[in-house]
Amino acid sequence: MLDGHLLLGWCSIILLVLVLSTPGPSAAYFGLTGNEPLTILPLNSVPEETTGRGHYKLCDRLKLEKKQRRMCRRDPGVAETLREAITMSVMECQYQFRFERWNCTLEGRHRANILKRGFKETAFLYAVSSAGLTHALAKACSAGRMERCTCDEAPDLENRKAWQWGGCGDNLKYANKFVKDFLGKRSNKDLRARIDMHNTNVGMKVIKAGVETTCKCHGVSGSCTVQTCWRQLLPFHEIGKQLKQRYESSVKVGSSTNEATGESEISTGRGQQPQQQPPTPGVSDHIPRTMDLLHIEDSPSFCRPSKYSSGTAARKCYKDKNCDAICCGRGHNTQSREVTRPCQCQVRWCCYVECKQCTQREEVYTCKG
Amino acid sequence: MAGAIIENMSTKKLVIVGITLLLFQAFAFMVGGLLAPSPTTAMPYTATKCVDTVKHRQEKKWFMPWGPNRCVKIQSFKEAVAQKIEANNIVFAVHIPLPNKEMSSWFQFMLVILQFDIAFKMYNQIEDGAMVTIDVGLAYRDDTVGEWTQMAQSFEQRKLNCNFTTTKTLENEGRFYECDLMPFMEVGSVSHKYYLLNMRLPVNERKKVNMGIGEIKDIRLVSIHQNGGFTRVWFAMKTFLTPSILIIMIWYWRRITLMSRPPVLLEKVILALGISMTFINIPVEWFSISFNWTWMLLFGDIRQGIFYSMLLSFWIIFCGEHLMDQTERNRFSVYWKQVGPIVFGSFCLFIFDMCERGVQLTNPFYSIWASEVGTELAMAFIIVAGICACLYFLFLCFMVFQVFRNISGKRSSLPAMSKARRLHYEGLIFRFKFLMLVTLFCAAMTVIFFIISQVNEGHWHWGERTVQVNSAFFTGIYGMWNLYVFAIMFLYAPSHKRYGDEQSSGQCITGDGGASSGEDIQLTTTITRVDGPTEIYKMTGKAAQE
Repeated sequence: MLDGHLLLGWCSIILLVLVLSTPGPSAAYFGLTGNEPLTILPLNSVPEETTGRGHYKLCDRLKLEKKQRRMCRRDPGVAETLREAITMSVMECQYQFRFERWNCTLEGRHRANILKRGFKETAFLYAVSSAGLTHALAKACSAGRMERCTCDEAPDLENRKAWQWGGCGDNLKYANKFVKDFLGKRSNKDLRARIDMHNTNVGMKVIKAGVETTCKCHGVSGSCTVQTCWRQLLPFHEIGKQLKQRYESSVKVGSSTNEATGESEISTGRGQQPQQQPPTPGVSDHIPRTMDLLHIEDSPSFCRPSKYSSGTAARKCYKDKNCDAICCGRGHNTQSREVTRPCQCQVRWCCYVECKQCTQREEVYTCKG
Repeated sequence: MAGAIIENMSTKKLVIVGITLLLFQAFAFMVGGLLAPSPTTAMPYTATKCVDTVKHRQEKKWFMPWGPNRCVKIQSFKEAVAQKIEANNIVFAVHIPLPNKEMSSWFQFMLVILQFDIAFKMYNQIEDGAMVTIDVGLAYRDDTVGEWTQMAQSFEQRKLNCNFTTTKTLENEGRFYECDLMPFMEVGSVSHKYYLLNMRLPVNERKKVNMGIGEIKDIRLVSIHQNGGFTRVWFAMKTFLTPSILIIMIWYWRRITLMSRPPVLLEKVILALGISMTFINIPVEWFSISFNWTWMLLFGDIRQGIFYSMLLSFWIIFCGEHLMDQTERNRFSVYWKQVGPIVFGSFCLFIFDMCERGVQLTNPFYSIWASEVGTELAMAFIIVAGICACLYFLFLCFMVFQVFRNISGKRSSLPAMSKARRLHYEGLIFRFKFLMLVTLFCAAMTVIFFIISQVNEGHWHWGERTVQVNSAFFTGIYGMWNLYVFAIMFLYAPSHKRYGDEQSSGQCITGDGGASSGEDIQLTTTITRVDGPTEIYKMTGKAAQE
């Protein structure tokens, strides 16, 4: 009973803190972390011809913040790229979490609720969004989809001169700058907002750290007296994998509210000594400067239907692999059925697959409710 | 070569000359490091996947990846499968450069590298030794709206050198292979503003064309061109250096013709060195700005090749002429053993270059490395050239060793010699050691800066300014070898103090004996003269006997 009271008390405090600190609707997030329902985006469609102001519609549909909308409208390529970035991030998130309890379901309600908290999953969503955007932008630059890319700081004539004189900077630099601009750098006292910002930055940094420098020799007779190097991004699959690893080793940043002053103290997990707050309260950031993803709260189990997920009941699982973990000990149903699927496929480059149809008996495992 | 300037110069003057040259050297480095941008730019491109909607097209159509007349594109090949588009109807289009930019003839050359993004699929793996066949066309235009004009069209084969670093399991499906870069295209002049590449990967099951090449996700290109700013600085440097070397060369040759005796071999070789340096210097590249001379790249290689082989020959002959073993040389044929490898090696490299860049004049997509036979041939040429280089350096080292052995031998007997003879040998030794020192310095500088420019990221931040290390390396080293040739022609020219007295070598020796003290002593020396060696050796021999 006493415990119950205490818990209740804590809950109310947390709730209060949450209510006070929830960032308003102006949160300049985007992608998996944005306000827009992802389902309205046709994820895999051919973009309609973006003539004139056609892209305005797309920009509006993305439910962007004022500044973001301005950046989106500036260039038809940006709108298209933004959409591609979302697609990429979603696909990667679902690919990386396909064997997990939380399988990156992004139906509006669940996602929105996760975003309101500070779970590991929240951290991953922020990181993968910004990473996806950076990657998509750099790629769009190289495909010529954007009208303004590198060399875009100066007015047109000077651009041309800069290009003629010394070439332009690389796409990654531009993409990073754009993303930083786009996602905004807001100084926020709120811990959760700062953590989100940190995780967003981790996404960008992972992209940056994964850059490979490739060189080509082209001196006399192709010797290495002259060589030119350029930077290359890792495939986004690799980035996703790295982010998943960071998700797994995510560091908990504890926030214990000091009731006397109402100021929050922050301590990092991993059994370190809690950092003492410097004399000037709540101004500087106390977030450890790491490449780790940070979270504030422990994740829910995602086993049962809740605010955050629809639970794992009836989820397909793989025996001996993840059935035990996914089904949360409720066991699984085994269903045997006949499946006809293509097999012994002869795949020719692009667009032609010749397969035989094989009928197999297959066991399908699903979690019990 | 009676009394070269270097011997007749006072130490003070020599130091002044040295400092001036060093200042010029520093200037050359600074021009590159502070004024010029980085030498080259690499621009990455991702090919846009266009769909050719007409099944069997009669006339050639060019597909633009973006802009007003952009093609119908697909994002991924999933769409292509759904729409039943055939491989032959997918066109990978790349427009060089990116939107709102244009190429310029200041870019001098453009090479394009090809990279495939191939995803691993259990049932569609890359077969061993898979070859991609690319049907590629290159077109250009000089305005943004005009028609494209075809520049080249070719069927190219490239070997896919890909490996999959993780285990080939179902779980890793979708991850990319790591593929080697493939040389794709090389154009020796960039005289048009816009270029367009259209590539197709046609499939022919019967002929096994493009079978087993895995699931290609994307084609990426990287185009490399020289920066316009660097070209300007480079041209300016060449334009400045050409007259300097030319003037000193004319001055040098006038000095030699003013002498009564015909020029000796070493003097001729120095002149040849000067000529080959001028040959490199002459800024014919200026013409490439207004003319479409695609052979400039090849021509540049040839010019450099000639200079390098001349420089190497010069070192050998210089050593040989300072051997001091009293054998009659002074003929080019004496050095065939040492010069032979140089000539043969550079000839090999020339053939190789002709096979690569020569053929590229007609087909910019040609690469000798693309075919099995070509690779072997190219490797053979390069290995032979390498062996020649090793052989040469062995000869050179042996010769330098011989010279030093002779020097130390002479050193011990120097005090016992007559004055004339002693001065002769001292002059020889000084001349040799000086050149040896300067050459070693230059070579060391080249190697050191080469390593620095390779190790470094290309630029240093030095306070507010960015120092372009690579550009500094190119201008600095280029300036250095120019100064080297300049210094050799200047310092090893016959001294004006002597050539009037050439008629009688006897007088020459006795006349200047103790004229002045210290370094100002006029060391009259002879290496091997057409007219006088026997005479002087007789004379000095007599003197020694006395």
